[in-house]
Amino acid sequence: MLIVCILLPLLGGALLPLGRFPERSRLRGILTEAVVCLTSVLIAVALFRGIPLEWTLWEVFPGAVIAFRCDGMSSVFLGLIAFLWPLASLYGFSYMEHEHRPNAFFAWYTICYGITVCVASAGNLFTMYLAFECLTLITLPLVWHKWNEESVAAARKYALYVLGAAALGFLALVSLTALGGADFRPGGVLPAEIWAAHGDLLRALYVLAFLGFGVKAAVLPFSSWLPTASAAPTPVTALLHAVAVVNAGAFCVARVTWFSFGPEMLAGTWAQTAVLLIACCTVVICSALAVRENHLKRRLAWSTASNLSYILVGVALMTGEGLTGALSHLVIHGLMKIVLFFAAGAILVRSGKEYVSEVRGFARPMPFVCACFSVCAVAVVGIPPLSGFVSKWILLEAAIHTGRASGIFAGACLIISSVLTAVYLLSVVTAFYFRPLSEENRAWGAEHHDPDLRMKLPMALITALVVILGFWSEPLVTFIRSLVP
Amino acid sequence: MLPSWYLLVPILLPVIGGLVVGLCDPVGKKDRPRTWWTGSVLALSLLSVLPVLFSPALELQLFRLSDNLPVFLRSDDTGKYFAAVMSFVWCLAGFYSFGYLKGEEHLPRYYAFCLMTMGVLMGLCFSGNIITYYMCYELMTLLTVPLVMHEMTPDSVAAGIKYLIFSVIGASLVLLGIFQLAPYMSSWSFAPGGILDAEKVAGHENTVVAIALIMALGFGTKAGMFPLHGWLPTAHPVAPASASAVLSGIITKAGVLGILRSVYFLIGPDLLRGSWMQITWMSLTLLTVFMGSLLAFRENLLKKRLAWSSVSQVSYVLFGLSTMHPVGVVGALLHVAAHALIKNTLFMSAGSIIRQAKHTRVDELEGIGKRMPVTMWCFTLVSVGLVGIPPCLGFVSKWYLAQGALSMSGVPGFFSWLAPAILLISALLTAGYLLTVSIRAFFPGKKEHAPSPVWEKCEAPWIMLVPMLLLTALSILLGIFPGALIRLFEGLAGLVM
Repeated sequence: MLIVCILLPLLGGALLPLGRFPERSRLRGILTEAVVCLTSVLIAVALFRGIPLEWTLWEVFPGAVIAFRCDGMSSVFLGLIAFLWPLASLYGFSYMEHEHRPNAFFAWYTICYGITVCVASAGNLFTMYLAFECLTLITLPLVWHKWNEESVAAARKYALYVLGAAALGFLALVSLTALGGADFRPGGVLPAEIWAAHGDLLRALYVLAFLGFGVKAAVLPFSSWLPTASAAPTPVTALLHAVAVVNAGAFCVARVTWFSFGPEMLAGTWAQTAVLLIACCTVVICSALAVRENHLKRRLAWSTASNLSYILVGVALMTGEGLTGALSHLVIHGLMKIVLFFAAGAILVRSGKEYVSEVRGFARPMPFVCACFSVCAVAVVGIPPLSGFVSKWILLEAAIHTGRASGIFAGACLIISSVLTAVYLLSVVTAFYFRPLSEENRAWGAEHHDPDLRMKLPMALITALVVILGFWSEPLVTFIRSLVP
Repeated sequence: MLPSWYLLVPILLPVIGGLVVGLCDPVGKKDRPRTWWTGSVLALSLLSVLPVLFSPALELQLFRLSDNLPVFLRSDDTGKYFAAVMSFVWCLAGFYSFGYLKGEEHLPRYYAFCLMTMGVLMGLCFSGNIITYYMCYELMTLLTVPLVMHEMTPDSVAAGIKYLIFSVIGASLVLLGIFQLAPYMSSWSFAPGGILDAEKVAGHENTVVAIALIMALGFGTKAGMFPLHGWLPTAHPVAPASASAVLSGIITKAGVLGILRSVYFLIGPDLLRGSWMQITWMSLTLLTVFMGSLLAFRENLLKKRLAWSSVSQVSYVLFGLSTMHPVGVVGALLHVAAHALIKNTLFMSAGSIIRQAKHTRVDELEGIGKRMPVTMWCFTLVSVGLVGIPPCLGFVSKWYLAQGALSMSGVPGFFSWLAPAILLISALLTAGYLLTVSIRAFFPGKKEHAPSPVWEKCEAPWIMLVPMLLLTALSILLGIFPGALIRLFEGLAGLVM
């Protein structure tokens, strides 16, 4: 089952350009959507039939096995992308009518799906690392898709950061494999003797791995690739750089923390303090940078960087509560942020405006888009009863329950960041509704400009889910809580 | 016997009514049907609160945020009292706005948010635990921002954003307090005297006291308490007068109720009495009382003067709560109603003057009493009440506040004379900034170089006058017959202490 879920999008994407579809082609859309939907349905069936699913591919060389295993934590991430990918593709069909080379775009876009499934269901460190690197390479063509100066520069920066920092992860991978810790096991694989012998080395390796995998989650000091990469077409920024790729980074960090090194040996040591500090600084600094940013998509990207570090804070707390909060935020933030990007993209294609100061008064020509944006913005700020509050609350509670000064510091950082979040998102909302249209937009704004159904439907569905999850998050949270080792 | 789901009616009725106005503007784009719709929703909502007030406490468990945070409603006496004041005044302010906003733009939006806020306020009053309270509190902030920004001028948008930022900071402090407090709680529902588990608190008293101060500061933001009062004099005057009236009179009370709930129903006054938190808090309220009156006295813009006055008067209420003495609490609760009625009337009269005579500054009001006699009589009568001259409700409440200050225990002795002295000075300043307006209005001095005054009548229409008259009458009636209220509050104060 798992093999089909991985190969179907890989092959489907790879074969798509063979069809040589014209620029505007209904058939290409139907085929892509069929492949993506089928994959999602298969994943859903697999998840409901029961986990764990296992599949060992082959042993590349002794000690390095490519193996896939889908456990509870994978299922959270898999469920999220399986839900979002078909919707984002649907959005993409409409969006890409305004860009060139759609064949190449949808090919890479669909291949990405397969690779993300690989990351989520990797059964050991080696496989995860490979999938992680593949994900970087596969997203590159998507980032430079527009093929103008800006996007090529963005792709170069992206590659430099992510490949460069992944070298740190590679260091951790090699050393861990040498010490016999390549497998994943809940609570960590390394026996106590090894910890006793190489304690500080292992902790140093952990910090390296945190940075190496965390770079995809845009942790400081490696954050700035994310806003730059928002030069990519919006379906990429929305799905990959707000959900799939960045969550893959956070997911890998959680994996390494809980399944390779094990939280017991890290909790309370300098390594934990270091990573917690890095994550907390990212949370606050990136939201402050978002306040300063005037470009809408880049502002959202800074916000993503900040929110991804919420997840990392949850992981770095190294308690079950913290992991629950982290995984909840992984899901809920993904849902909220993708709508914000969808809205920004809709504004971009319909009006060509991309700066916050240019979108004043857009609630009149684009009421639907602005309404979805506003609901999700309020949710990201974390105002009950919308779902953003739920994950933030669990994270805050977890931070305080550690009882350590570092935990309380983390809690304070999360609170400060939500104030900043309110500033940088709600100021956009007020600009939509309470500022008059600027002179140059006056004539354009007299008509109705909401996008077509292919864009509206994904936004409406996900926004509805954001609201529903706020009122009724019990099943999700209980499920995630039951996964924590 | 009312079924417990009935508690949702006063909350959902205005919210749904508001959504209908906002989203569909139900009956065409015409003013009259929209006004009728909004008016009937307002009236029905007010009526729907009544059965709750006259029935025993109802409880309703709604849903859970995350997997362990219950959203829970309960109509206890405190909630009922606040609900009565808020719904009544809100309803009248709504009717006033029909006159005040006639012919303005964006009316569906205004009425929509006005109605929805009313529903959320009822949720606030009937919140059975701090999470529910926090939820409604945040929603109330978001729903009132459009009222502040209604005019959509650069000034009002900037003021709205300032309001938003201050409120979010305040709410974050509250949230910080809530989740710091969560480990010490024995349950998730308010109870008189606090719900902290004495065993868990033992050894952490100082932490809890610090949390109490954080929460007081957080909720104090909405109540305009120093040091987070800065938004109030900016945001209240830029809103349309019908909105400033309720922002000043009602929304600030949400902060008061928040502090009341967290100090008396969550943490418990016994833990805080005599602590450094009580001293700090009381000093802040006294400072705010004095500062607000002084700055109101120096302000020339009428609505801004009234906003500074709110800063000062709401801190009277907070001072009463900070005494942690039954008499002081009775005074505070009385002043809630007194200030709500009086400040609404004052802002409504200011609005009438702005709309009918186009005057915004105090020094333009020479002789306005001749042109708008009813409005200015209302203004004067309630001013007298706010200063604290009998027989208005303002006198009774201040009497109890001063009594509470004299008999409180636990704080250093000099507070017992300092507090009444500050209250007295502030009352004198209140007379200075309010009664001078009336004097200008009715006894215009002779000015040699002034342009010849205009004397033709420009009284406000009846839809604006009736709410003002009702509020004025009520503030005087309650001042003459305060017995029932006082008995109710003495019962409440006895329960929590």
